[in-house]
Order: sequence, then C-alpha cells, then structure tokens
Amino acid sequence: MDYTFPEKFDLIVVGTGVVESMLSAAASRVGKTVLHIDTNDYYGGQWASFNLETITKLKNDDNSSSNVRNPLVLEENTYCLGNNVFNVENVQFKYHIPNIPKKSDVSEDTSNMELDEKWSSERLLKESRKFNIDLAPKLQFGRGDFVGLLISSNISRYAEYRCVSRIITWLNGKLHVVPCSRADVFSNTNVTVIEKRMLMKVLTSLNDPEEDMKNYENQTFKDFLIDKKLSPNLIHFILYGISMSSDETPFSEGVGNAKRFLNSLGRFGKTPFLYSMYGSGELPQAFCRLSAVFGGVFALGQTPQGIIMHDNKFKSLKLGSQHLEADHLIMSVDNSPQQFITGVEKKYISRAVLITSSSMIESEKEHLTLLFYPPENGKNTVTLIELGSLTGTCPKGLFLVHLISRQNISPEEDFKHVVENLFLSEPFETPEENETARKPEILWSAYFSLPDTSESDLKSNVPDNVFLCPGPDLDLDYDGSIKMARDIFKRMYDDLEFLPRAPDPEEIILGEDEEGE
Amino acid sequence: MDDYKFLFKVVLVGNAGVGKTCLVRRFTQGLFPPGQGATIGVDFMIKTVEVGNEKVKLQIWDTAGQERFRSITQSYYRSAHALILVYDISCQPTFDCLTDWLREIEEYASCKVLRVLVGNKIDREDREIPTHVGEEFAERHNMYYLETSAKQSDNVERLFMQIAEDLMKQARSRDLPRYNSNHQNINGTTTPISDSSCCSGKFINAIVIFGKPTACIHCS
Repeated sequence: MDYTFPEKFDLIVVGTGVVESMLSAAASRVGKTVLHIDTNDYYGGQWASFNLETITKLKNDDNSSSNVRNPLVLEENTYCLGNNVFNVENVQFKYHIPNIPKKSDVSEDTSNMELDEKWSSERLLKESRKFNIDLAPKLQFGRGDFVGLLISSNISRYAEYRCVSRIITWLNGKLHVVPCSRADVFSNTNVTVIEKRMLMKVLTSLNDPEEDMKNYENQTFKDFLIDKKLSPNLIHFILYGISMSSDETPFSEGVGNAKRFLNSLGRFGKTPFLYSMYGSGELPQAFCRLSAVFGGVFALGQTPQGIIMHDNKFKSLKLGSQHLEADHLIMSVDNSPQQFITGVEKKYISRAVLITSSSMIESEKEHLTLLFYPPENGKNTVTLIELGSLTGTCPKGLFLVHLISRQNISPEEDFKHVVENLFLSEPFETPEENETARKPEILWSAYFSLPDTSESDLKSNVPDNVFLCPGPDLDLDYDGSIKMARDIFKRMYDDLEFLPRAPDPEEIILGEDEEGE
Repeated sequence: MDDYKFLFKVVLVGNAGVGKTCLVRRFTQGLFPPGQGATIGVDFMIKTVEVGNEKVKLQIWDTAGQERFRSITQSYYRSAHALILVYDISCQPTFDCLTDWLREIEEYASCKVLRVLVGNKIDREDREIPTHVGEEFAERHNMYYLETSAKQSDNVERLFMQIAEDLMKQARSRDLPRYNSNHQNINGTTTPISDSSCCSGKFINAIVIFGKPTACIHCS
C-alpha cells in the first residue's frame, strides 16, 4: 500500500519478537510516538507460531540467507540491517506417513472404524490452518511476573489461556505423573503413605528454608534432598519435576525454583502453568495490539535499506524513499547490523516439534502435559510440552509435542534418546503390534536450532540510542524477557512507568446508561 | 451479576479511511467524530441492546490503525462472532481490496463467523461503486449486504441490530461459532456438535485472566 510514514518518531522498533513488542507497547502507552516494523510478513520473528504450510518458510529463509539484504556498507555511515549470525539453523521437516491416504485392510472389522481414515501428509496439509506451531513454546507461572504484568497492564484481554493439567517425568524407563499439590500427593497411588508424609514435610519446609540455607550454602539441591532421607522416587520428583533442576543445581537455586513452583500452585489449575491458546506466537501480538491502540504505527513485510548513523548515534532509518528519524532505535538481534554484534558468542537451543497420533499417557480427558526428561548419559535435560486440540494448536485427535533443550550436538542428536524412548518414528504395519507398544506414533517431525542470545553481551558495540533485544531463551516462561524489556525501557525513559494499567472501555465510553461489570 | 444474557464480539475490517471508527462511534455514542484523529486508548466499544426482551452486549472491536499496512494481529480475529467488512462506496480501491480482506478472514477467523459487507458513505455524491455491484459481491461470498452513512446515521442502528438479532438466532439454535475449530473443515462444512461438547469445550475451560470467557452462551 502506498501510504507514507510520518518522518519523525520518538522510537522505531524493528522486529516483533516478545521483548521488542513489550517495549513498543510500553513506549506507546506512555505517549511516545512509535513506528514498529518487521521485515517478515508475519508477527513474532523467532517467537512466532506457524501453521503446517507456513512453517516451511523457515527452511527457505535459511537457505537463501535472505537476512542479509545488501552488501555490508552502502555509503559511509549507513549500516545494513540483518546479519547471517542469528538465524534459525539446521531446519529439517519430515513426514513419517504416506502422501495419500492408504485404504485400510481392516475396514470390515467394525471395531476398527476409526482406523478407516489413516493420516496422510495430504490429510494433514488439509488441516494445516488448525496448527499453530510455536518456534519458542512458553508456559507462564500462575503467579509469575508475566501473568502479573498482563493483569497490571490490562493486556490480559487479548489472549486466552489453558492450564497445564499434568506434569510427568521419566523414571526407571517409565512415565510417571509428578504429584505437585497436596491433593495430588495424597491421591497418587505410586507413592506410599510414608513417602507421602515425607514429601509433604519437605515441601512445607521449603517454604521456610532459613535454617538449611547456611548448612547447604556450597552444596547442591540434590545433596539436601538426599540428606532429608527421601526415597529415590521422591528425590526424582522434587529434583527434576517440582524444582526443574539437574544434579548440579546449587541448593539455593533449587529451593528458589521449587518455591516458585509451589507458590504458583492453585491459582488457576492443578499445576502452576498456563499456556496461551492458539500458540505462544499470540503473546507478542497482544503487546503489538496494545501499542497500536495507543497510537503505534505498524507495518509488516518492510525492507529497510539501512540505518543512517551520525556521530556514532542512530539518526534515521531508510525505508523506501523515506528517511525516518527517531530518538531511539530498538531491534531484535537477528535484525541487527553486523557491526553491532561483533564478538557476540553463538549458542543454540535445540528444538523439535512432533505431530503425534496419541498422547504420551492416554486418558479419557484431553491433557496439556509438561514433561521434564532428566539428564541422561551426558545429554541435557529435555523439556517436552504436549498440546492437544483444546489449545487451538492442532486438529482434534492429534497432539503437538514440543521438545526443548540446550543444544549440545544437534537437535536430532540431542533428542534421539527421548524420541526413541517415548515415540514410534515409523508406523508399525499392523494395529496389534502398535497396541502392544502403546507409544504415540510420529506423523510429522521438525528439527531446528534457535539462536540463544539471552545471555549474550548485546551492549558493548552498540550506539547509546540503539538497543538490541535477545531472541528466545531456554526459560519456560517470559519472566527473563520482561526483565530485559524493563531494563531497556528504564535506559530510555528513566522517569516513566513501564506498562501502567490501560483503561477499560467502560471507563472511556460516556453517555451510556449501562454500568460496568 | 451482569444483567446481560449474551455477549458477542464483533470486529470491523476494511481499508483505512472507509469509516470503520465512525460507524462504531455513531452506533455506540451517537456521534460522528469530526476529523480523522486517531482514538487513542480505545480498544473496543461496548453497547448493550435489547433483542426480544433479552439484553445483548455487543463488544465492537476496531483495527487500531493496523489495517493501514496490512498488519492486523491474528488475535484480533480470534473468537469473533461477527465480522463487518467495510468499504467506501465513493472509492474504488477500497472495494478492490475486499478480496484481500476475505483471504485474511478465511485464514484467521472461524468459518462460521457471521459476515456482513458494508458499503459506507452513501451520503457522498461521488459514488463509484453501484449498489448492485456490492450486492453481487456479497452474495457471491455468502455475506449480508448493507449500505450505510455513519455521517447521517443511515442504517447504522439497523446494521448492528441485525447482527445482534442474527447472532441471537444462531445462539438459540446453537449454531454459533464455538471456536472448537476441530469441528470445522477448511471448506466450511461442519459436522454436528453434540451438546455435551459445549461445557467441556474450549470456551468454558479457557481462562481469561481478570475477566470471563467472552461467551459460553450455552452455559449462561
């Protein structure tokens, strides 16, 4: 569309990831004029969600290195946006099922009616629109900073959530449900009565760990649990499940994690966690909507020619034939000019997404499941999130499984043991065999590496009035991103409030004889 | 307790400048905002109307200017019960863009969403799109059609009342989009939804923090 932009803004934002979007909303909210653009024609950047067709864009981008749009420097003082350093890498997609539906031989048997229509890639693609596949799946603690921010800023109305309904762990070659609440502990049949008492005692003592603090200062959380004379099962549940820790996690961190977990219990559901419906990619959009409501100008699919510097400060953005000036520039790290990120170390998050035919633990009611797969044979902890159709991220009858881990070798290698233990990669020929195996069948898989810049130095080579926002991190939630956004906001607008509560429509509308809620 | 029985989310789309905000303000506030000043801080407007002795609350969402560069967030379309697609009868390009808008609607909105095509600004003398062209377009795409003037208040009340009535009718016959997209195919055909699917469905289980589900009309 041939509209022109205003030529002067307080803030220009390039990239619509979570941190950039929070900042855009925060700036618009306090009356700053904001231009917010993305080079992609979709929201979210490396935090986006895709359907089954559009996710293949990742691969194309990866190959054509479209991120670098021009050679490095055009003119003096003009820097190109984008770099080839922080792309999504190692992208692989695979269908584990035939292209076209196979006529089932067992159709005479009426008990097998459901098997009549087998999944094929053709059938999956027909349902493409019903998938919302996250690049960076996130859960929120019921009492975490993010939920707090949603409520205090009144952004909560832009999204809906579902509760994680069970947490499971891998123990002695089997999947077990982790008892997390008092009610869970007592209803759990895998835990003996004595264990139940011990578990409750420890969980209660974690709320007031003052005494233990000194004694375990230099020890691991695991040491502490062992000293509490807990059974191996209980140690496993608390260490890997409730405190999401590893064998090396220091005592204070383990206690902190466990407390955070226990604190968030009982606010919304049976577990401490919420997942946003239609995918995690909805959340950056919620902030963008707020920004727009408060006057932010939005444009997707833009290709800026570069940024113009003056006295080692950002001066303007060259977009089409226009030069757009702003006091500050915020960019996602993948949009950063090469010049600003020299020496930033490269780390990756291993990711896999599986479309499966059934849940890891079948049950009558559809569950939203979180699994912490403990470290094993030198492999890192793997977090699995299994989403059913009620989350609005996959069609009915299917599940979407996200695997997340710190990258060690490659996504495929890092997840190999988990995938082999929990899923069937090749569909078995006969249903009987399948029945005995009782593992979910993989219909489709995706593997990729997400750059992890959450701990990188994104300040050293960057001009004063430019701020780089990291991409997705390994955390389960957005609390680290909020911290990052608050920090940048403070550096720009020290005296202003970060995302004060937005008024309700009821508070704005006049002349109605109707009362608010 | 709230004194309304149904709450419906109505969203407006269409090119910038076709009068979406004016339609909303005319209906909810009874005024025609002078000039093109952006309405800062207004997310959606609410108006409660009566349909056959029942109170119906319409929550009407505007694009917040994101339509200008084709940058409407997907969540804008989520959970909408009715969608009003607006063009300016005196501006051909706004009509030409309708197919682009429809594509976007297909992509993100429920296929059961009630769709209405509105040709606005009939007070203008320089009409470029004859009524029958709009009507034909609407018919071809299975939409209602109405011509309005937000400025002179022509058909604005009727537009929203019609939507409220139709949504009520659908709600009564339990044919409202339920956002259990599983029940819908891409080509728009639907399979019957059993009653029991309702309260175990998405609506009532979905958590709207600090509020309530936009509608679980079946359980209200």
